[in-house]
Amino acid sequence: MKLYQIVLKDITRRKKRMLYASLGVVIGVATIIAVLTIALAGETDIYGQLEKYGANLVVMPAISDIDVGLGGLSLGTLAVGENYISENELPQIRQIADGMIREALNIEDEGDIATIAPRLYMNTEIKGTSVIIVGVDPQQEWQLKTWWRIRDGEYLERADQALVGAMAADLLELNVGDKIALNGREVTITGILEETGSNEDYQVFLHIKTVQEAFDKEGLVSSIDVRALCSACPTSDIAGSINGNIPGVRAVAVKQIAETEMGMMEKVSKFLLALAGITLAVGCFGVVNTMLTSVHERIRDIGIMRAVGASRNQIIRIFLYEAIIIGVVGGLLGYVVGTLLAYIVGPLIFGGVAVTYVPQYFLPALALATFIAVIATVYPAFRASKIKIADSFRSL
Amino acid sequence: MLEIKNVSKTYGQGTAKVVALSNVSFRVDEGDFIAIMGPSGSGKSTLLNVIGGLDYLSSGEVVLDGKRIDNLDENDFVDIRRNKIAYVFQQYHLLPSLTALENVMLPLTFCGLGKGEEKGLEILKGVGLGGRTEHKPSQLSGGEQQRVAIARALVNSPSLILADEPTGNMDQETGKEILGLFQQLNVDGRSIIMVTHDPDIAQHAKEIIVLQDGQIIDRINQKGGKQ
Ligand SMILES: Nc1ncnc2c1ncn2[C@@H]1O[C@H](COP(=O)(O)OP(=O)(O)OP(=O)(O)O)[C@@H](O)[C@H]1O
Ligand SMILES: [Mg+2]
Repeated sequence: MKLYQIVLKDITRRKKRMLYASLGVVIGVATIIAVLTIALAGETDIYGQLEKYGANLVVMPAISDIDVGLGGLSLGTLAVGENYISENELPQIRQIADGMIREALNIEDEGDIATIAPRLYMNTEIKGTSVIIVGVDPQQEWQLKTWWRIRDGEYLERADQALVGAMAADLLELNVGDKIALNGREVTITGILEETGSNEDYQVFLHIKTVQEAFDKEGLVSSIDVRALCSACPTSDIAGSINGNIPGVRAVAVKQIAETEMGMMEKVSKFLLALAGITLAVGCFGVVNTMLTSVHERIRDIGIMRAVGASRNQIIRIFLYEAIIIGVVGGLLGYVVGTLLAYIVGPLIFGGVAVTYVPQYFLPALALATFIAVIATVYPAFRASKIKIADSFRSL
Repeated sequence: MLEIKNVSKTYGQGTAKVVALSNVSFRVDEGDFIAIMGPSGSGKSTLLNVIGGLDYLSSGEVVLDGKRIDNLDENDFVDIRRNKIAYVFQQYHLLPSLTALENVMLPLTFCGLGKGEEKGLEILKGVGLGGRTEHKPSQLSGGEQQRVAIARALVNSPSLILADEPTGNMDQETGKEILGLFQQLNVDGRSIIMVTHDPDIAQHAKEIIVLQDGQIIDRINQKGGKQ
């Protein structure tokens, strides 16, 4: 029989007390795991967005009002019906973008490089419901929205066609072949998009010329999405150059927005981690407390062990073994509870972000919990080792 | 082998001061069987505790095999508990979570001897508990628990066994059986100091020391007497 076996046999007799002792550790570790797991999910989400839109920049009028977003990233606001960019700026934007990409990547090629997709947003009513319709350059838009998939019908090509977002189609009960009236014009629905999980699902896409004519906005666009060739392309520089050379517009690189969001998130998770650290410290005192109670309850057992040959160090070791068990149990439970918490709270914080459990956090969670439990047990174990044998028998 | 020289022990201070032992002296030779008697509160347990290092004395000396042990520090005393002196208590003092066999093996564990099952089994058989090795203390009778405690005391082959009212919790019959075990150990060459209230038990010892108010008031040599 080994020392740790004595501990194991004794612990099975006092399961409740052990669970209670590990509670503080569980709560502390669970909070930390939850924060880290959620933060990682958020980060992964932002990186995902970056991968998708990292090569993009958005050009908007210098004054803006309604939300324009790409996926989960807010790209600022935009005023409909008040501020527009002239189509005449498109060639210059292309010149700046293509020129800088050529320079950065050493490309000689003369043809178009960047995708430049102008959009015109309008609010209108379809079947009595207010809907945002988006005028697009079908070809450029298709190149830009690499994630678009057609659920029914075909992609938009001609001026008398319309492409409908998945939710809009469902809510308004629109089908391929249906006709929609637009300020006296009539367009035919040629296709319905698959759900993308963004606000595109609620929009109706038309040829930009159609929207310009129908709403008397000839030659005007609300915003321009520019997609450089690669994520490594100097999109921030392109944005800067556009801002510097074209008056009345504001260009923002998605990278910059992602960086800002990332910075925010790091700050928030640092703050939350600090809170979790405090929880853990409080939990640590909980362990100290339960361990002291445990020492008190077992004064007689400690006396017996000492009387039959246990040294002070062996008594300390017995309590430290217990601490390790408490720590491992606490770390395990803490990891599970923290991960569950992340699954529940994560999507509430980052609207719909997919939280996944992080196996790499498991061993650190065990290690942290064990460390805390051991630290918390040092003093109680020391007290236990100082018990006088004769006194221990008298106390009961 | 063991010499108690002018041992005194006081508890507390001032008005709360209690003299538990005052100037107690006697010797224990190899193969001795000493019974300590006396009224409650006369200092019997205190005397055993002081001899075995469970408690410190206030003045005097305890000499074991020619070496003073009363002033040893805790760690040195651990060696004595592991090798030379073992205890048997009135309340048995077994660990409730361990089986009879595991309780017997406990001292071996603390000595760092991982194994010892065979030895433990053999000793349990020797005290008449060969068939009860896997029982927990709560599943054993008082007499059986005390046999386990005696087996535990024997597992390290100590030369001196200190027993504080080992039969105090049992009926006459069981008490006699336990006494028989102690006598057997004594015949095997171990020295025994046993505290008891029971004159029937005490009369089987080779010497009776009677304590009162912490002092030896009588010594009855029974060597060659009843055995
Ligand atoms: N830790 C202690 N603090 C104060 N007084 C104590 C302590 N331990 C023992 N005493 C006192 O010392 C005296 C001797 O006690 P001891 O336990 O040795 O008596 P005893 O002869 O074993 O009695 P019993 O037959 O009841 O077991 C008693 O007066 C007791 O109250
Ligand atoms: Mg007593």
